[in-house]
Amino acid sequence: MIWTIGGGKGGSGKSFITTNVGVCLSKLGLRVVLVDADLGGANLHTFLGISPPALSLSDFIKKRVAHLGEVLIPTAVPSLQLLTGAQDLLNAADAKSAQKRRLVRSIQSLNSDTALVDLGAGNSLSVLDFFLISDGGILVVTPEPTSIENTYRFLKSAFYRRLRHSVSSSSVKALIDGAMDRKNEMGIQNPSDLIRRAMGMDEEDGQRMAEEIETFRPNLILNQVRSKKDIEIGFSIRSACQKYFGIHLHYLGYVAFDQEVSHSIRRRQPLVLENPGSRASQCVMEIASKLAHSHKKSTPLQGYEPQGH
Amino acid sequence: MSLKGIKDQTYYEVLEVSRAATPKEIQRAYERARETFAVDSLAIYSLFSEAEVKEIQEAVEEARRILMDEELRRSYDQAHFQTETEAATEAPSETREVPGEKKASLAFSGLLFNTVREAYRGKDLKEVRERMGVEREAISKETKISMKVLEWIEEEAFEALPPLVYLKGFLKSYAQSLGLDPQKVVEGYIHSMEESRKK
Repeated sequence: MIWTIGGGKGGSGKSFITTNVGVCLSKLGLRVVLVDADLGGANLHTFLGISPPALSLSDFIKKRVAHLGEVLIPTAVPSLQLLTGAQDLLNAADAKSAQKRRLVRSIQSLNSDTALVDLGAGNSLSVLDFFLISDGGILVVTPEPTSIENTYRFLKSAFYRRLRHSVSSSSVKALIDGAMDRKNEMGIQNPSDLIRRAMGMDEEDGQRMAEEIETFRPNLILNQVRSKKDIEIGFSIRSACQKYFGIHLHYLGYVAFDQEVSHSIRRRQPLVLENPGSRASQCVMEIASKLAHSHKKSTPLQGYEPQGH
Repeated sequence: MSLKGIKDQTYYEVLEVSRAATPKEIQRAYERARETFAVDSLAIYSLFSEAEVKEIQEAVEEARRILMDEELRRSYDQAHFQTETEAATEAPSETREVPGEKKASLAFSGLLFNTVREAYRGKDLKEVRERMGVEREAISKETKISMKVLEWIEEEAFEALPPLVYLKGFLKSYAQSLGLDPQKVVEGYIHSMEESRKK
């Protein structure tokens, strides 16, 4: 299974969560590959205490090495490997759908049970597509307005992009493009208005859009939680998404604010290895066990077929 | 549940409860919805327009008004759900959640945080009790709290109330019997009592 971790804002903890959940999953007996696809600054190796890797995915794509396995970096944890350089394929300027599919195929061909892809805070079309293509997209958000605002921006873009891919009529596609601008002149204020209007234009496409909404099930992790009230925000975000998008956002869990997190990053060691008894470690372990459970069921959560622009 | 505008949602969908929800569950769902769609709620920041929030708030209040009144709820159900089959298809998402996502699974696993205090007044407890159509006597029987103490709690007769250590226990039991969060009620009530003493 491929999980993508994205959305939110730089500093919300995506790389920390990717690394530590990956370590937990490998401890649970899964063969895990962490994929660094952060356009803004790929540094999963630092979270794992590894020097900047000499080989990356590009070396395989450019045929400098024969097998993809050769560019996988071993880590201190058995059955946990690192793949860097995936961001080169997601580069917004020239990523074609073929390249995205190639990246997915590359990851799928690895000898592993699960891959966790750190997408960083990017919002480019390629990043959105990769989030949608994966078996499960995970949003990491902190209980702050800036983080929540960016997460909703990401989610809106992903949502509309998914709808756009589901329809065939060019006029409905244009309608969706127009609806993404809240100040549009068509009077479409929210997804509910959009579906109503699309139904009027092309009933079949409207129906397809409604089906897409049913099957779009992104996940949410609330990070740096400091109070019970903060935990409740996750449930509130879920309700807000239900009311606004009509989607079922899965609240995967929360991670408590813990000074030990920054200490572990400074020491370049995964927290769950260094301090498994810490509050944040316990939260991460709980999330990882839920992902492992989903893995057993092995049901793709998002059902999105990659397409061109 | 597919995407519906707030005006097209049933009151059960508005509060995200099942058709079979008890008054306690409805009250809890109402409180959660009220917090979620409060003007200063972080969870709705940048997502809804002011007008949309107002519309949802009104729908939430109306849903509570109808569903917490036995008579009104019955008429509403009769008007909106003609057959049991229809009722089943109208069951909102909360009843179809993925196992493991229930609120209990995200329970506060013993971690200590500073809890933010919210005011919880005696009149709030009284209002919830009355809306649920529960007599004070029934609460007294269930919780073993004397009628007099319940009355003092509701009327905020702070001087007459028992010592704090006992009061906290009474408030906890009372909150539980109403299906409210005991910790929120205890802390909110004590907070409003302290505020009142300062004046």
